Order: sequence, then structure tokens, then C-alpha cells
Amino acid sequence: MAEKLRLKIITPEKLVFDGEVEELVAPGQMGEFGVLPGHVPFLSVLFPGRLRFKTVESGENTLIIHGGLADVKDDTVSILTDQSENPAEVDVAAARKDAEAFQRELDDLQDAGDSEREELDRKLRIARARAGE
Amino acid sequence: MPSLKQITTKIKSVRSTRRIMGAMKLIAAVRLQKAQAALMAYRPYSDAYRDVVLNVAALSESEDHPLLRVPEEKTNLHVLFFTSDRGLCGSFNSALIRNMQRYIEEQNEVFGNIKLSFVGRRGRDYFSRSGVGTGKYYTGVNERNSRKFSEELAAALTEEFRVGESDEVVLAYNHFVSAISQKMTFERLLPLSAKETDDGGGESSSDYIFEPEKERIIGLILPKYVQVRIERAINESLTSEHAARMTAMENATSNADEVIAKLTLLFNKTRQAIITTELMDIVNGTEAQRKGGNE
Repeated sequence: MAEKLRLKIITPEKLVFDGEVEELVAPGQMGEFGVLPGHVPFLSVLFPGRLRFKTVESGENTLIIHGGLADVKDDTVSILTDQSENPAEVDVAAARKDAEAFQRELDDLQDAGDSEREELDRKLRIARARAGE
Repeated sequence: MPSLKQITTKIKSVRSTRRIMGAMKLIAAVRLQKAQAALMAYRPYSDAYRDVVLNVAALSESEDHPLLRVPEEKTNLHVLFFTSDRGLCGSFNSALIRNMQRYIEEQNEVFGNIKLSFVGRRGRDYFSRSGVGTGKYYTGVNERNSRKFSEELAAALTEEFRVGESDEVVLAYNHFVSAISQKMTFERLLPLSAKETDDGGGESSSDYIFEPEKERIIGLILPKYVQVRIERAINESLTSEHAARMTAMENATSNADEVIAKLTLLFNKTRQAIITTELMDIVNGTEAQRKGGNE
């Protein structure tokens, strides 16, 4: 069994990351989960949130991902996401404001359909991840 | 023999056409570069998505999700045909249409009913006249709105398949190979079945863990996958179109150069001929006069 994990973070716009990592923690829909080398085959749907991974060269890294999929197989982790962002480039104050606005909207939402609620929930999670909450 | 004036007018008109084609070539080249970069970035994403979906599909039964259903009878085929909206791109559209016709003839022996939907005006213009059953028609699809269009298309095609109005959905588009080569591809979109992928992920399949449970995951990723495939096809087709237009315009420009060279040669010859005739007139005139004076 290999000592390292290969991590690929792929968005429709670009290959964000492709390299070896020691471990990673991803925001799964059923809760955060960690992956170490030798993990069993695993497929999870991801919530928008923060993806953390540790590499030999640069230590701890964090990326904001806008939901997606994580596929773990043969010590390769593929993260498929619509969009990813570097936390250092995010306007935290604005993101926090967005999060509050979405939260209020979600609270006010009474008789909306499931898809509408889901969409708002998604936006809220993205805003929260960007604000670092 | 044409007059000098006629030739100059002709040269002028060819020159201005050449200038337009040269500009179109440059525009196509810039668009191609952009589209190609976007496509190259999109391919790994859609390929990775396909791997995941095929993997899941291989571990699933066809009853697990409506999109995995394999129809017992092949009656209704729905083909989504990608062409360009505009012309001046060489044999891009005519080659697509020719292949499409052949495909329809082949499939007519399998399916009772074939329906065509179109992305791009050229394909629709042709087939709306030829009496094949036509469905939806989308125009004005470009790099900026491909996401929106693909979502709309995916929703429509998926719904149609789900309720059983179509038994198979195929994407027909030009696959971008390189700037000088595009290959027409027929790709089955629905039903999604792993049967075709000669049991790639067969080993240790039973200990795959799904979060949330498999049925929910399938429900989430299959519709998205359909959208990804359509968006990929749009990107492939647009990139191919720009490449075809660039090549066509380049050929047209060099043809125009040839025509201009020929016309210039003709112009010079004609001018020389006129001078020669005039000279002969003068010489004849003076000869005649001299003869007359001697007598």
C-alpha cells in the first residue's frame, strides 16, 4: 500500500490541485471525514465547505469548495467541485454579511418548495465557508 | 479581352474580400484559442465525472434509478444534433449533416421513430426541410451561456427519458481533435449503463462505501452528469467550429492571393498589349507620312 495519497481537485474551469498529500479532511454531507492512505473505496457527496489537506512541501492547506463529490479509490482522491476558492482571497466581511442575509431569508422561508430551500441552504453554506464560520 | 478598368475593379473587389476573410480568420483564431483552453480545462472534469458515474452505475441495478433503466424495446430514439449557427466555416456543417443522414438511415432499421433536436441553426435548417421528426431547437449557444443551456437541455432530455417518451438519447457532435482535425462523434447519453464499459471497476466493488446511501447519491449525481456531458458536447462543438472557420478562412485568404496574382498578371499583359498596339499605330502613321513626303 502506498504511503501517500494522490489528491486531485478538479473544477470545470481548471485542475486546481494534483499532487501527493499525507491526509485530507473534507466536508461530507454526513459530516466531515478524513482520508488517510489505505482508505477503502469511498464515494461521498460534499457540502460547500472547507477542504483541508496536508502536503509535504507546504504543510496545511485550506480550500473553499462549493460542494461536489469526493471519490476515493486506490489511494487516489478525486474532488469534483463546481468552484474552488483560496480563503486568502475572500472578502470575509462581505461573506459574513451574505451569510447573515441568507440565514434571514431561510428563516423567513415558509411555504417554499424543497428545491428552493435546498438552493438557499447551499448558498448559505458557501457564504459560511467563505466567511470561515 | 477585358479592359484595364474592368481588371482593376475586379482586383479591388477581390482585395476587399480578402481583407474581410483575413479579419475573420484572426477572429476565429482568437476564439479558437479561448475555446480550446476552456475545453482542455473541462475535459478532465467531465472525464473524472464519467469515471465516478460509471463506477456507481456498475455497482447498481437498473431499477435503482430511472436514468439507469434499460428500455425493453427500442422504439423512440432522440438525437441531439450540434451544428453551428453561422456559415463560412468550410465543410463543418455539411460534413456533419452528411454523417447524420447516414446515421439516421442506419438507426431507422433499429428504431421505429427518430426525433432530432438541434443546437445550432444549420442542422435545423437542413432537417426541417427533409421531413425527419424534429423536436427542440436551440440557437445562440456560445461559451458564456453553455452552462445555462446545458442545464435546460439536461432537464428536458432527462424528463423525457424518465417518462418513457424516448428510449435512447444520443449526442451527435464534432469532437475536437486538433485545429485541423475534428471528428464527428455519436455518443449515447441515456440510458446510462455501465454494461458497455467492459467491467472496468469490477474488483473489490462490494466494499465501496457510499455516503449518503447509494440510491441518494445516484439521484444526486446522475442528473448532474447528464448536464456535464451536454456541456462538454457544446464545448467540443464550439471549439471545432472555430477551428473549422479558421482553416476555411485561411484557405480562402490564400485562394484570394492566388486570384489577385493572376489578375495582376493579366492586367500587366493587357497594358503591355495596349502599349504595343499604340506604338504600332504611331510607327505605321509615321511610316505612311514619310512615304507620302518622298513622292
